[in-house]
Amino acid sequence: MHIAVLAKVVPDYEVPAGDFELSDNRAHSRYTRMMGLYDENAIETGVQLKEKYSASLTIISYGAEDDIPVLRKAIAMGAEKLVLVTGQSDDASVIAANLKMAIDNLGDVDLILAGQQSADMDRGVVHGTLAEMLGLTFIPQVSKIESENGGWKISQLTETGSRDLQFNGKGVFSITSIPENVPRIPAVRAIFAAKKKPVEKVAEVESNAMGIEEVSVEIPTMDSVCEFLPVEDVGETVKTLLTKLREERYL
Amino acid sequence: MGRIPYWNISYGILIDAFAIPFVALFVYGMYRWWKLIRQGRARIRPDFPGKLGPIYLRALFTKGILGTKIYKKPYTGIAHGCLFWGMVLLFIGTALVFLNVLFGVPVFNGIFNRWFMSFTLDLAGLAALGGLLFLLIRRGFFSPERLTVPKERNGFISIVILLGLILVTGFLAEAARIAYNGTDPGAFVGNWLAQNTPLAHLAAGSITPDVIAGTWFPPLFGDTQGWLVFHQYMWWMHGLLALAFIAYIPYSPLVHVVLAPVNAALADPLPGPKMGVMDFSSFEDEEAEDTPPLGAAKLTDFTYKRLIDYTTCLWCGRCHEVCPAAQTGKTLSPKGVMVTLAEYLQQGKLEDESLVDAVSSDAVFSCTTCAACMEACPVCINQPKTIMKLRQHLIMERSEIPELMGKAHSSLELRQHPFFGTGAGQKDWRKDLEVPIFEAGKTEYLLWIGCSVTYEERAQKIAREMVNILDHAGVSYGILEEARCTGDPAKQMGNEFLFNELAEQNIEEFSELGVKKIITLCPHCYNSFVRHYSKLGGVYEVTPHSVFIKVLMESGKLNLTKSTKTICYHDPCYLGRRNNILDEPREVVSSIGELVEMPRNRRESFCCGGGGGNYWAEEEGTRINQVRTREALDTNADVIATACPFCLLMITDGSKKFTEEQKAFDIAELVSMQLKDD
Repeated sequence: MHIAVLAKVVPDYEVPAGDFELSDNRAHSRYTRMMGLYDENAIETGVQLKEKYSASLTIISYGAEDDIPVLRKAIAMGAEKLVLVTGQSDDASVIAANLKMAIDNLGDVDLILAGQQSADMDRGVVHGTLAEMLGLTFIPQVSKIESENGGWKISQLTETGSRDLQFNGKGVFSITSIPENVPRIPAVRAIFAAKKKPVEKVAEVESNAMGIEEVSVEIPTMDSVCEFLPVEDVGETVKTLLTKLREERYL
Repeated sequence: MGRIPYWNISYGILIDAFAIPFVALFVYGMYRWWKLIRQGRARIRPDFPGKLGPIYLRALFTKGILGTKIYKKPYTGIAHGCLFWGMVLLFIGTALVFLNVLFGVPVFNGIFNRWFMSFTLDLAGLAALGGLLFLLIRRGFFSPERLTVPKERNGFISIVILLGLILVTGFLAEAARIAYNGTDPGAFVGNWLAQNTPLAHLAAGSITPDVIAGTWFPPLFGDTQGWLVFHQYMWWMHGLLALAFIAYIPYSPLVHVVLAPVNAALADPLPGPKMGVMDFSSFEDEEAEDTPPLGAAKLTDFTYKRLIDYTTCLWCGRCHEVCPAAQTGKTLSPKGVMVTLAEYLQQGKLEDESLVDAVSSDAVFSCTTCAACMEACPVCINQPKTIMKLRQHLIMERSEIPELMGKAHSSLELRQHPFFGTGAGQKDWRKDLEVPIFEAGKTEYLLWIGCSVTYEERAQKIAREMVNILDHAGVSYGILEEARCTGDPAKQMGNEFLFNELAEQNIEEFSELGVKKIITLCPHCYNSFVRHYSKLGGVYEVTPHSVFIKVLMESGKLNLTKSTKTICYHDPCYLGRRNNILDEPREVVSSIGELVEMPRNRRESFCCGGGGGNYWAEEEGTRINQVRTREALDTNADVIATACPFCLLMITDGSKKFTEEQKAFDIAELVSMQLKDD
């Protein structure tokens, strides 16, 4: 079994709003670069599957060569190999086409995992597009994967509930975050070993971008508003608070 | 006429001959321990003034031989002191008898005989017996919880019986001798026994069956010959039991008699666990055949000193009694850790890697690294180092860490600070303030802000007020453009590798900037700079802000008004217990208000609960910070002062349970409030 996990290096996704600034319509380059949060969940899921089913695990990324030191963490977590397609496009279609090329080059990939959305663009589009290009089934928001009778038993977790699915064949799954796939801290020996593991750099291929033009980019402005909620019943107050935060789209 | 050695004893010299097999048993028992201990790792230790090879002479004498730490509990300490020193004097007396018999050393004549061989040795025996009785009653009837939780050590009753018999038979043999030969000036116990017990009749020649019938003496000794036999029995019993005692030492908890001084002599006298830094170069070296273990998974991963710790430990539980984790219902008991390791050692499970799981990961990560256990230990055991070694193994080899602590760790790895999800930006703390940036060759002091002060809103005030103080005093200082963390949280969580990476980055930047003098706001940063950066090549003159304020006050650069407020000072563990900075903060507090002490203060201070990475812990049981805050509030002081941002945050949080008033302040905030305009 060969599992590939897609990982993207993004600017720090926890920069406080008051400290966040744009440069050329993107997060300022001064912010530390790291792997996306959901991508790390996907890597952890991949490592667990590898350990459970004696699979091989490859990390595939599309980005700059400077991302390699960051991506080494994924190898240290338990992957065997890193394939980096060097490119700078933000276009989901271009990224998907290049990831497809890398997967095709590997030849024997059975399962492709990816974080449910990137931590910078928050689109959650690339993996679906990639599945379409590969002609594979795409299952979003996957929380658990188990091999069963030659196929896969999958749990899908959304904000409103969960459901179990069965699936046979090759597929692309987007992974959501659950306590069981909190990314592990790489062991120190694995960090040193990761430095010696192979990194395959592949030049990007040309492909058609989506017909979308970015007109402008805005970031939220800091606005302090204070509202007191009655605390006669703490449980009710918490529910009210949650509703209000959802209504205002803070959650 | 002087005393006749071996009076009434035929072939008394045989007791000296019998000593040989008993001593051989003792030597063999100690050798068995040494064989176990030497399976640990040798450690090369730096030179230290007053050190002879690996031995710290002062510590050997004070903590090892004098046992100064025992007296922190006065009653138990005095009882133990009476027993130990009593037995030491009796041993010296016996050795002198031996020298008299073999070489004719005149110990039984004149003043020496009266005041040492008779009076002092009787006093010693009496003291030992008194101490023994106290310890027996305390352990048997009023046993404190610390002795029994989580487990009580067996073997003490047999020791007490053995020692008691040695002392009692000694006194009876002496009394029988005196009763027959007449009063021995100085031997007040022997004389009393000879005069106030049936032994008196022996001297008076009035032993009759009637006399015997009215006493507790058995009829066997109903005539003079019988009493002589009685003396002989007592003498031989006393001698043989004393030899048995020596032989029994290595096979019982008595082994601490030998190992406690050894352990004290080998314990680095610098306060705190002294984790040092790790060298990871062999991991980089492709030629290296073997790489060292990261932390400790099994007993052989520990050093000799640690294995001596486990052998010496008496399970007295003083560490358990002061441990903030153990006292608030956490899984950890430092005594429990020592017990587990001692049992593994005794069972010869030196290569057994189930050790960490036997101690439990929960226990290992509950340690706040406050070092209160070390401070309390009467035999100089370094419990935190053992716990930290297990923690290092869990995180560096097994990637195991509690979830919340893991998030802080990941943030530290990714962002060089552990405050994940912080709403504060790097420069927020200095909003609307003019704070100079450190300039190479121009600025004298680097004001090191540190992570907690940068990213925790409540702690930011510390830096703002310290800036006010430094400006007021006209100090040449500057900060780094980018806020940094020393890496201390990584070290406390057990990841020495991450600590090294962060420290080396900082040292490189300091070298580029030519930083020589640093003022710290956080004792954890201070501890890192002085204890660990120096080992990585970063040697600086580092001053904690509480000490720096005191220096400014003394040099007349701060003009302060004294308020009428009562101020209770909480000692941060990393400033007080770990670095012995106890007086300076108190002097500062006393200059701005009236200092009030909590019951547990100075080196016996109780942790706030935030150390050892436990600032990022979901606590089970009672919250440590609430216990400490309650103790502070019970002093009825107007204000709780501290000199550590983590303590400030923990106590601020802890006080929310008891009061809505803001009670906790950093020392810099309080000083800044009392600054007078010039």
